[in-house]
Formats: sequence, C-alpha cells, structure tokens
Amino acid sequence: MSTSLEMKKIQKFYGALHVVRDFDLYIEPGEFLTFLGPSGSGKTTALKLIAGFETPSGGDMLLGSRSIVDVPPYERGIGMVFQNYALFPHMTVVENVAFPLTVRKAARSEVEEKVLRALQLVKMDQYRDRYPNQLSGGQQQRIALARAIVFNPSLLLMDEPLGALDRNLREHMKIEIMRIQKELNITVIFVTHDQDEALVMSDRIAVINEGRLVQVADSKSLYYSPQDRFVASFVGESNLLPCRVNQIENGTGTVTIAGRANGVARLSGQSGGESGWLFVRPEHVDISPRGATSTAQNVLDGVVEDALFLGEMTRYTVRCGNETMTVKQQNRGQPHFAGKTPVTVSWDADRCTVLH
Amino acid sequence: MKDVGKDNNHMNTLLAKERAADPIIGNVARGQNFLNGLLANRRIRGAVVASPLLVLLVGFLIIPLSNIVWGSVEGTKLNFAHYARIFSDEINFNIMLHTLKIGLIVTVLSLGAAYPVAYLLTKMGSRAFSIVSVFILVPLFTAFLIRTYAWMIILGREGPINNALIWLGLVSEPLPLLNTTFAVIVGMVHVFIPMAIFTMYSSMARINHDFARAAQILGAKPVQAFVRVYLPMSLPGVFSAGILIFIVAIGFYITPALLGGPRDAMISQQIVTQMTTLLNFELSYASSVVLLLVTIATLFLASLFIPLEMIWSSATIEPSNRKISERSRLLSGAKRAFHPILSLFEAFAHVVTKRVLTQQSRWLWTYTTVILVFLTAPLIVVVLLSFSSSPFVVFPPPGFSLQWWERLANATDWHTSFLFSIQLGLVAALFATLIGTMGAFWLVRTTLPIKRPLFLFSLSPLMVPVVIIATSLYIFEARIGLLGSFAGLVIGHVLLSVPYVIVVMAAALRGFDRSLESAAAVHGARPLQVLRLVTLPILKPALWTGGLLAFLTSFDELLISIFLLGRQTSPLPVKFWGDIRFQLNPLLSTASTLIVALVTVSILTAQWIRLRHEQRTAISASK
Ligand SMILES: Nc1ncnc2c1ncn2[C@@H]1O[C@H](COP(=O)(O)OP(=O)(O)O)[C@@H](O)[C@H]1O
Ligand SMILES: [Mg+2]
Repeated sequence: MSTSLEMKKIQKFYGALHVVRDFDLYIEPGEFLTFLGPSGSGKTTALKLIAGFETPSGGDMLLGSRSIVDVPPYERGIGMVFQNYALFPHMTVVENVAFPLTVRKAARSEVEEKVLRALQLVKMDQYRDRYPNQLSGGQQQRIALARAIVFNPSLLLMDEPLGALDRNLREHMKIEIMRIQKELNITVIFVTHDQDEALVMSDRIAVINEGRLVQVADSKSLYYSPQDRFVASFVGESNLLPCRVNQIENGTGTVTIAGRANGVARLSGQSGGESGWLFVRPEHVDISPRGATSTAQNVLDGVVEDALFLGEMTRYTVRCGNETMTVKQQNRGQPHFAGKTPVTVSWDADRCTVLH
Repeated sequence: MKDVGKDNNHMNTLLAKERAADPIIGNVARGQNFLNGLLANRRIRGAVVASPLLVLLVGFLIIPLSNIVWGSVEGTKLNFAHYARIFSDEINFNIMLHTLKIGLIVTVLSLGAAYPVAYLLTKMGSRAFSIVSVFILVPLFTAFLIRTYAWMIILGREGPINNALIWLGLVSEPLPLLNTTFAVIVGMVHVFIPMAIFTMYSSMARINHDFARAAQILGAKPVQAFVRVYLPMSLPGVFSAGILIFIVAIGFYITPALLGGPRDAMISQQIVTQMTTLLNFELSYASSVVLLLVTIATLFLASLFIPLEMIWSSATIEPSNRKISERSRLLSGAKRAFHPILSLFEAFAHVVTKRVLTQQSRWLWTYTTVILVFLTAPLIVVVLLSFSSSPFVVFPPPGFSLQWWERLANATDWHTSFLFSIQLGLVAALFATLIGTMGAFWLVRTTLPIKRPLFLFSLSPLMVPVVIIATSLYIFEARIGLLGSFAGLVIGHVLLSVPYVIVVMAAALRGFDRSLESAAAVHGARPLQVLRLVTLPILKPALWTGGLLAFLTSFDELLISIFLLGRQTSPLPVKFWGDIRFQLNPLLSTASTLIVALVTVSILTAQWIRLRHEQRTAISASK
C-alpha cells in the first residue's frame, strides 16, 4: 500500500543558513510529486530530511500516520534513487538489487523471487551478474530504480535521477519511470531543476525558491496561473512587464503597461494604484504589421529585433520602448517579419495576469 | 516478445498487489539494536572511533616525550647545564654540525638523482610504470639493515669495487672505502632515493603535461617550457620530499653506525651511546630535545611554504590555487631581478640540451635504468653471495654452493627470530590497522574545526626521530613496568606503523563516495551492516595496503626493538644487527635473500590485488 507523507512546518538550518523554511505539504498516497527549483534552493536537503539523513531543526513529519522525525533512515522503509545512482561497486546487479532484502534478513526464496520481478520490471533481467561498472549510465539508472522498489517501499525518493543521462535516454527514462510508478501505484517524490521533466511527469509540482515552497500545484495551473514572478519566470518562458493598476472591476483591472499603453489584465489581489508585473506567455501574444486592427485589449507597438525560425514556430524578440517582449508564433503560412520591421503585439485580457 | 511482455505485466500486478500483504519493514532481528543506537549518535561514534588512536598517541608518545623534556632540565631544578654541555663541548657540537651537514648533502643528492626518474614515471604507460615501480618498491621496502649490509660488502676490502679496481690495475692496494663519510653518504642516498622518487612522483603526477605542451605551442623552447612551466609546478613536491628526507636523515642510526668511521658519528648514535654506555641520561635527554627541536624547526620552516601533510600524503592536498601570499610576491620580485640571467641560462641550456631534450625520453630512460641498477645492484650482490662457496664474504663468489642455505635451514636461532618477527609483525599490523582505520574514519569525518591539526598530530610518530621514540618509550615503559613485555614491544611497533595506516586509509576515505552509505542506510542497513556490507568491502584494498605497510614497518624496525625487547627472543633485525657487528658472513646474505624474496612476493601480491579490485570497481572501466 502506498503511503501519504505530511510535512508540518519543517525547518532546516545549517548554522545560520536557513535552507528549508516552513515546509507545509501533504502528499497523497500514490501521488507523483516533484520538487522543482533552481540549484541551491534546498531540494536535496528537503529530500535528505524525508530520507532521514538529516534531522529537521523544527517541525514534524508523518509517514502514513506515524511521525518519523526520530526514526533512523534504516527503519523508515523508504526507497531512494540517487543522482549518481550510488550502486555498490563491489556487488553484482543481483546483489545490489537484493540488498534491501538481505539486510532485512528476508528468506532466500523470497529474495530471489522479488529481485527477479524487480529486474523484469525495469527490463534488466539479462544483466544479473554484471558489475555496475560494466553497465551504461541508463542501465545503472534502471538498477538503481530496481533496488529502490524491490522491497515495496512506502515512498520512493528520486534526486535528479535523470541529470547524468544524455538527452534521448532522458526522454526514454521519463516515460519508464512514469510507467513503473503507475504500475506499482507508489508515492513518489521526484527532485529536479528541469521544468520539462517536472511538467511532463508530475501529478503536482512544488516549486521551491530559497528554501521556501512558493507554489504547489498541478502542471497546468502552475504554467497558466503562476502565483508570483519567480514561478512565472522559472516555469516555462514568460514576458514580465512592469505595470500599474488603475481601476478594478470584479477581478480584472485596467492597467498602464510599461508606462506607455493602457490595457486590461486579471489581478491577483492587487488594489488600485499598486504597481506590479504583467505576466503573459510568449505563445499567447499575437504579432501583426503595425497599424493592423486588433480586437485584443492589450496592444503595444514595437520593432522586431530578432526573428528565430525554429521550424514549427518562429520566435520573435520585439522591442517596445524600454521593454523587450518574446513572441512565439506557430508557423501556419502567415507573413514573416524580418528584423527592424515595425509591428504591433497584442494579447487578450484573460491571457495575462498582474503578479506581485 | 509479446508473451514476455504479458508475463511482465502479470508479475507487476502481482508485485503491486502484494505490497499490501507483506510489509517487510520492521521484520528485523533486534539483536544489535543497542550498539546501532549508540553508533547513530555522532558524538558517541566519534569518541569510540577516536579514543584508541588518542590513547596511543598521548599515552605512548606525548607523555614519554614530556618526560624526556622534563628530565633534560632535571625536572623542577630547571638545570640547563646539559644543554650548555652540548653546545660548549666541541665533540658534541661537532657531531651536531656533522649530522646537519650529512643530512643536507644526502637530501640534495637524493633529490637530484630521483627527480628525472619521478618525472619519467609521470610520462610512462601503465605497463612500464608497474614494472619500473616494482624495481623501486622492492628496495624501498627492503630493510635498511639489509641494504646497509649490502654496502658493507660492496665497499669492503674484498668487495666488488676494490676487486675490480685491482683487476684493472688502477690501484695496487684495496682502497679504504668502508668506514668513511663517503660510505655513509652512498648508503644513505641509496636508502633515500626510492623515498624521494615516490614522494615527488605522487605530487608530480598531478601536474598536467599539457601545460608544458601548451607552452611549447606558444613558442617556448623545450628547455624554457620545462624551466618556466613544469619545474615551478613541481617544486612543492620536490620541497616536501626534501623535508621528509632531511628529517629522517638527521635522525638516522643504522647506516652511519655501520658504514661510517669513528668520526662519522651522528647525533642519534650519540644519544644511544650517552644513554646505554655512558649512562648519562640527562645528557642524552638534552641531545634528544635538541634533535627534536631541529626537526620541529625544519617542519615549521617547511610549513611556511607547503601544507605539512603534503610531506607524508600528497593525496590529501587538493591542487588548488592557494592565495597568492606575500612570500610568493616576494619570490616573483626576485624572479624579475634574475630575469636577464635566466634568459641567458635558457639560451645556453637550449643549445646544450637541444639534442637531449628532443630525444628526451631515450635519455631519461637511460638515466632511469642507471638509477634502477644502482638501487637493485646491492640486493643482487646479496642474493649472489647467498650461493657462495666461500666461508668468507668475498665478491664475486669463487664458486656456487648451497652450503649457506643449508646452514640457514639448520640455524634454529634464525628460525625463532624469523617466527618471532612474523608474530610481532602480524600482531602489530593487526592493531595498527584497527587503530589507524578507526582513527582515519574519525579524522576524515569529524566535523571538528581543528581537523587539519589533528591529522598532523596523528602523523607525529613519523616526525619524531625514531631514536627519540625508542629511548623515550624505553624510559617510560621501564617506569610503568611494561618494559621487556611483548605488549610493550607491540605498542612501540604499533606507534610507528599507525601513521602509515592513517595516511592510506584517510586517502581512501576521502575518495569514498558517501552516498553509497546513505543508499545502504535508506534501503534498510543498520550502521554496523553498512560498515560490514558496504564501507569495509569497498575499502578492502586500502586496508590490505595499510596492513602490509604496518607489517613491513614492524618487520624492519630495529631501534625500537633493541630498546624495548628485554629478554625476549630477538626479532630478525635485532638478530641481524648483532651478527653484522660480530662478523660478516654469507649466512647474513642468505637470510637477507629470503627476506628480499618475501618482500618482493608481498609487493607483487599487493599490486595484483589492487589491479584486480580496480578492474572490478573502477567507475571508468570500459563497457
Ligand atoms: N551539509 C551542509 N552544510 C551547510 N550547508 C549546506 C549543506 N548542505 C547543503 N547546504 C547548503 O544548503 C543550500 C541548499 O542545498 P541543496 O539542498 O543541496 O540544494 P539543491 O539540491 O536544491 O541544489 C545550499 O546553499 C547549500 O550550500
Ligand atoms: Mg541537489
């Protein structure tokens, strides 16, 4: 049975350095949750607290209904895949995978059966007697995964497990990990600094910045409704323009964008007169020749600075006064704008939000 | 294919279903829980692991040394007369000066002879390297005593050198080569060259040859590339090797005593004589303290230029760009002043060395071969002599016979000495490995801020001249009633060999990937299981290396044994020492040959174990 994990006001200090701040998080049984954050934001530390390699400086943590802050790692029953795999170099594949069972003194027949199943699950049963250094990176990864799940852990932790793989293999392993998680219905906490991994794989994503949980949400809400500037710029590409809120009408408001144009945007709790950042995704911005009429509420004039042809789409950089905007346009045979072309960029009010 | 897939799916569903049925968590024997619980506490673990080493170092090095210092001023009387005597008495003072002079000469000669070999070692392929290194390792680990004995034969009146000179008609009378300062220097240089090669090599191996290549691409002539790029980068290694040799040389006992004449006495002989013959303990204490102070002063001076631990274990030093200090700015100022001279020298050297350097490796190989011959020839002389048909030590032997081997086979006194040495070596190595490994764990993993001083402190038995350790332990063990016991002897040997274990284990532990331990722990291994199943097996080659070094150290140790032995059986070196001084006969060669053979076999075995382990566990191994 997969287990829930609840973190209550978890803190971690290293000396005066506050590395994990006020983690309040409930992870449901069978959920795939990702810690996403830039390097140094405290993801690994958070994982170490859950695994029991570090003791929290404050707060409580429940695995299922049991508090585990005082439980040593070897009694938590958690599986973990390490970034460098941490396969035991002096043991064969079978011995590595059997390790969690042998240290628990499981019966011989049980060990053999479970190891075989785990190896089959990761499709590595032909490599039983190899040593880790005789395997490729991707194969080592699979063995590390097999070792982490062989003893039916209540929770599976993965610390940037795909970081060391090349791109193709990474795509492939993403799908494999998702398949195995579904099949075993296991609770997973996955750590990455790669937003693509996070968006593709997770049920929910916990964005971490400077030791704080900034936003915990599923991929779509995270992408379309980021809660603040950090999330907006860290997850996907975004335009952030300085703006000031003028008038408010049920959730939306009229705004002055970059001090030069008027527009309409959704608000996230701002009041009149307050300044903030107008957030809009590049694929939600339309680009048209200067002077063309537009129905969109937000319109800015600018000059194309740069046009990158990417095959399925074109990525424009448009200078609008002091600001530059990124525009991504699907290539469906519409006119292409070369550098220095005067253009108009526009977007709808419900595609943009004012953030703090 | 389809079938397999289906089978898989079936299995997986099973696996998924089953998780509810059998949680293995908590299904563990609770036997060692208490111990594991204790070990989980970092402080307690630190104390447990550190205490044997600290007890050994404080109890059997610091306290005995303090006794000596205290005794040299006659305790509370604070009588400095004995120091005054050392410096006012011309004989005593000259011995001091002579010691320093010999130390300096030997250091410079060994470094000069060893540098090109160390340089070539960094450029060799791995096959050539393992062959050449055996030729250096075997002399390195052959007892000082045996090597000195070989020189006694070679330089003797009827030795190969005198015989050759007479045969060539260059001299009519054998030259008095033995019992001269020359003999002392040759013998000591022979002892120190292997040490110099390995110490320099281990730091030179970190210098990337691409720097020098880059310099050449940028237009530097080979000699410029070497003098301006490679040489400066290798200087810290040379310097640390020099310090190591100097401090060992000034405390040297065996070689000067056997190869030198009456006027070649060095301070360690003086200390022994003062204590055992003149029975003037206070004077010998004072001499010890003076020797100790010279050593400390040397090390202090060295510490201004290099991190001290680099002398014994270059592996501990990260090649980092340390802050550019006042000193090096001073140095570069001096360099600028010398620049014109340097350029002139380079132009000259380029012309002279052009041929040599462009065919660099051939010349280096020739030179290295000469050095290897110099290092191994004495051992070969000893081996050949063991098959001599003559009852005397003459070289070349007049004929072949196995008589000396038969004699050795029947010499029960040698057998008991041999067995006792083995027994002593094994016990000492066992304790040294245990204490040293625990100490290394503590030294590497402690979070105490004084980590570095602690590491240096743990190497202190290598810094204090052996003669001082021997005499101070002698006095101390006599006082606590341990003198003459097997335990007392073992303690002395463990004290000397523990630093080697620490150096080896600390290097291995620093390179140890701690995420392996985390992985073991999170997957259910208790602290003791982690140690038994993961940490120790991976450290096995280092454990064997450390143990072997400890064994060889004990097997080779003379002074400590002489002082702490009491009425026990003589270990081999002591037996050897007694016989050499009594008379030189080929039986000694036979015994030496046996020991050289044993050393060679153990070195080859160690190399083989290391290679096999590396092949299996190296991350970089081919697919
Ligand atoms: N053992 C430690 N002692 C002191 N500081 C640490 C320690 N481990 C991590 N840190 C610091 O905590 C911060 C977060 O580190 P980490 O959790 O490894 O980040 P991430 O995994 O997100 O890259 C970093 O600033 C790091 O320097
Ligand atoms: Mg990390």
